[in-house]
Amino acid sequence: MSEPGASTAAPMRAEGPAAGPSIDSERRLPEAPRPVRCAVRGVRKSFGGNPILRGVDVDIPEGAFAVLVGPSGCGKSTLLRLVAGLETADAGTIELAGRDVTALPPRDRDVAMVFQSYALYPHLTVRDNLAFGLKLRKVPAAEIATRIREASAMLGLDTLLDRLPKQLSGGQRQRVAMGRAIVRRANIFLFDEPLSNLDAALRAEVRVEIRRLHDRLGATTLYVTHDQVEAMTLADTLWVMNGGVVEQKGTPLEVYERPRTRFVATFLGSPQMNLVDAVVVREDRALLVDGGGVRVLLDEERFGDALSEGQRVVVGVRPHDFTIAREGAAACTLKVELVEALGFEAFAYGWLRASGPRVVARLEASDAKRVRSGDQLPLAVEPARLHLFDPHTGLALDRS
Amino acid sequence: MRRLFALLLVAAIVSVLPACSEPPSIVLWHSYRGEEERALVELAKRYEREHGLHVELLALPFDAYTAKLQAAVPRAHGPDVFIDAHERLGIYRREGVVAPVGDAVPPEDVGSYEPTALDAVTIDGSRWGVPLSTKCLALYVNDDVPAGAPDVYPLAYEAENPYHHAAVLSAFGGALLAPDGSYGFDDDAAVRSVLYVRELIAKHAIPGDANGALVKQLFASGRARTSIDGPWLAADLPPSLHFHVEPLPVVQETGRRMRPLLTVEAVMLSPSGARRPEARAFARWLGGPEAALVRATEAHQVVASEPAWRDPRVAGDPLLAAFHEQARAADPMPTSTRMRAVWVPVQEAMRRVFRGEDARVALDDGKRRFEDALKPPPPPPSPAPLAIALGALALVGALFAVRRARTPGFRQQLRESRTPYRYVAHAAVVVFVLVVLPLAAGALTSLFAGTRADPRYVGLGNYLAILTARGGPLLGHGSFYVTLIVTVLWTVCNVTLHVAIGVALGVVLSRPVMRLKGFYRVLLVLPWAVPSYVTALAWKGMFHRQFGAINAILSFLGVQPVSWFSHFSTALAANVATNTWLGFPFMMVVTLGALTSIPREVLEAAEVDGATRWQRFRGVTVPLLKPTMLPAVVLGSVWTFNMFNVVFLVSGGEPDGSTEILVSDAYRWAFTRDAQYGYAAAYAVLIFLILAAGSRLLSRVGGEATT
Repeated sequence: MSEPGASTAAPMRAEGPAAGPSIDSERRLPEAPRPVRCAVRGVRKSFGGNPILRGVDVDIPEGAFAVLVGPSGCGKSTLLRLVAGLETADAGTIELAGRDVTALPPRDRDVAMVFQSYALYPHLTVRDNLAFGLKLRKVPAAEIATRIREASAMLGLDTLLDRLPKQLSGGQRQRVAMGRAIVRRANIFLFDEPLSNLDAALRAEVRVEIRRLHDRLGATTLYVTHDQVEAMTLADTLWVMNGGVVEQKGTPLEVYERPRTRFVATFLGSPQMNLVDAVVVREDRALLVDGGGVRVLLDEERFGDALSEGQRVVVGVRPHDFTIAREGAAACTLKVELVEALGFEAFAYGWLRASGPRVVARLEASDAKRVRSGDQLPLAVEPARLHLFDPHTGLALDRS
Repeated sequence: MRRLFALLLVAAIVSVLPACSEPPSIVLWHSYRGEEERALVELAKRYEREHGLHVELLALPFDAYTAKLQAAVPRAHGPDVFIDAHERLGIYRREGVVAPVGDAVPPEDVGSYEPTALDAVTIDGSRWGVPLSTKCLALYVNDDVPAGAPDVYPLAYEAENPYHHAAVLSAFGGALLAPDGSYGFDDDAAVRSVLYVRELIAKHAIPGDANGALVKQLFASGRARTSIDGPWLAADLPPSLHFHVEPLPVVQETGRRMRPLLTVEAVMLSPSGARRPEARAFARWLGGPEAALVRATEAHQVVASEPAWRDPRVAGDPLLAAFHEQARAADPMPTSTRMRAVWVPVQEAMRRVFRGEDARVALDDGKRRFEDALKPPPPPPSPAPLAIALGALALVGALFAVRRARTPGFRQQLRESRTPYRYVAHAAVVVFVLVVLPLAAGALTSLFAGTRADPRYVGLGNYLAILTARGGPLLGHGSFYVTLIVTVLWTVCNVTLHVAIGVALGVVLSRPVMRLKGFYRVLLVLPWAVPSYVTALAWKGMFHRQFGAINAILSFLGVQPVSWFSHFSTALAANVATNTWLGFPFMMVVTLGALTSIPREVLEAAEVDGATRWQRFRGVTVPLLKPTMLPAVVLGSVWTFNMFNVVFLVSGGEPDGSTEILVSDAYRWAFTRDAQYGYAAAYAVLIFLILAAGSRLLSRVGGEATT
């Protein structure tokens, strides 16, 4: 635990920065929490015979910002609560800093958590909310005051310290909830959908704030969200969960560009990736997928041995990867039903075939002006931007 | 609307008209039940058959009987004739409820009545009732239990009951109330009689601390060979029990026979009834031998009519004959209104002596309390202050109204508000009639002393008397301040326990992992669902020194049995235990409701912050419960402050009135100390003021603490 050291170090730190090497002392907490590694191995959990987690492995390196993302009910919040110690695992282990904490209560894990509803103590002022956990840990009063001063300066809470939670706006409450985690200087920070109760504008603002805080504090962070924008923008490592298992892990770009499953492919990205059923064919020694109104050449380097002729596949193309075909080299033709112009770009909605699935293509704003509903729009797609999935297993068909 | 009203009026008149034209009838009120009521109905029918006069019977509940008579008769809504016990004659005469019977007992009938019974209804030379039957105590003997049997009480009776003790006292030559109306329980005879009984209890010749139910149980089960009790006991004994009744025995110490108090049931005439010859004739007939025979054979009454006893069916009934014999050797209960103030001081004095206190001191105290209770009201002050105050109030009100009416736009506003006023009018009237009026009447009563028939304005005299402890020491026995301290102590103890137990159980019951939660919840709410007087009586039984469950458990555990109602602390503890049992479910239910409003995440946040279970409870649950619990605590305090049932039924103020709370004390002033309604009303007003101030203070202090 960092507390005993922290409490004795407190008076020292007041003049510490002047003597220390750090010039940008204003940008860092005088004593950043010691980031720890968080490892979850083979964790299972069910509620009343209903399995929520079916063997999950998560490994977050020291100081990383890990985001658990997935649809509601995928078990991501349960995993977070298991790490916090608010639930006990049926099987598997949880390690913090190499120490097995699976059976320990929350207070022996030294974790800090920001709840979706913020869970501020309604009867305590902002100051007492921040001090609550510290008082329980018998941190000296002077030290508590210092930490509160620092945290409130960092979060802009200085003028709100004597208010009750009910006298604060949503964004302010959110900041208090974060402040409560910060003053604790815990080993690991846990966020449970902290932005979902904020309006859109504030959400973007606080999102940036959270990432900035992490960079300043350097604490290991586990962040749960169902919002792909948050997931993409915040994460060092992204863990996409579905149905109680981790479907894919990786950096946000990796996961976006190389989705390993059909679920991951459709879950990330907006609008969703277009999926069309097709068959692999070989024509003039070239490998193509054909069907559902799509006919595209394949990159043999990439798919080569993974495919055989006549194989049924699901073709995935992100709306952003379509371009308007210039010289009749169209991969498909979109019968436009509706054009959604957003100013800097536009989306064309329509069908490739009457019986096929609805398809969305992104257009440049300039092109969009010429496209009308009812037009036949020839579309091209770069072979490298193509995703193929097995229709049965949903796994990406890829050599790697 | 108007047409409907007219129609209703016509309907009412039409329905009343035939009643006016009917032949005259006599209205008879009584409070008989069972076979006595059946016999009376039969007699009324027979009288109608034989004399052509309809007798209309109205049975009233016993508890409300006297109050109803006192309320109805002076307003000419009462009966022509009514049946009641002769000892009420004193009150009835004072209140103008009863008139002399005149020729209902003509000189030629005098010889046919039991002399003692006729004596009982004779006051100041005139007769105020026609004696019907007599009731008194006699000795029941269990024929199956041999004298001197081991582990059997030779005698069981309610030794602490002054009514029973009067019989013992008579053998020592004393009486509870002297013929001149002065307190009689302070002379040598009284001292000797009480010490004699204390000796008997000490020798285990009789059970101490015995109530009627216990005596009945002891006698019926053969654990007491004899019992002193009234005719009512016979009906409650199992048919298999072999027993006989004989006159009360001789007290060996004095060589004189015990004489029980005699109650004579009589037909009485209201002033309007006494003016009607047919009512007097009916009263005479009802007391006469023909009706007496029916009453004796059908209703098993110990009739006061001598000729009826010549009938073998009556004389041959051993039970009736025994009580008849005893009635001849009994002393009629005094009819003086002062008798009502005798019972409590006598009982308190006796209990103190039985607990081992000095008899002379205890009995002298009893006399003092009797005289204090009957202290004449203070001289009426000039009503001028009241008149001036009311006048000033009216003047201020009028000034305010005038100013209000002068403000510009007032008429306009009034016109606009006319419709809303019409909507709230009925609610305002209902609240005024049901809430404001009784309150005002109660407060007004507190400015008067004396009886209902003869109220005397005393201004704030009652309050003055209460707040100066009637001239005695401010912290003396039974003073307002001592009772107030006891009441506050009682309230604080109870509410603390209610909240502590209620919150603890609520928290336990709200845990999601608990099995059979619904079952436990029902089980724990049960004490609340049982009527409180049932619970109170059950707990009183459990706290009985000799036969109670709690002492049985204590002695099983090797602990000395506790005489619960002999000490203030144990008696208060018994009261508090009972009321805690009654009170915690309410707090538990409130807690359960309040707990659901505490978000789970806040508790989890505390858990992550490092709080132990206890720290979460102290730091989060308790402060969040507080806003909901505060009104419940205020409410609970008010209820407990006024919890009459438990105090009255469990300790009954024992020992020596020390566990009395303000409300039960007010009750004593109104109903056991010669009907000092004004004095009791002043108590009620003071209680109201204390509670109003206390509740305000509690919510303010608690409210500040929560914000």
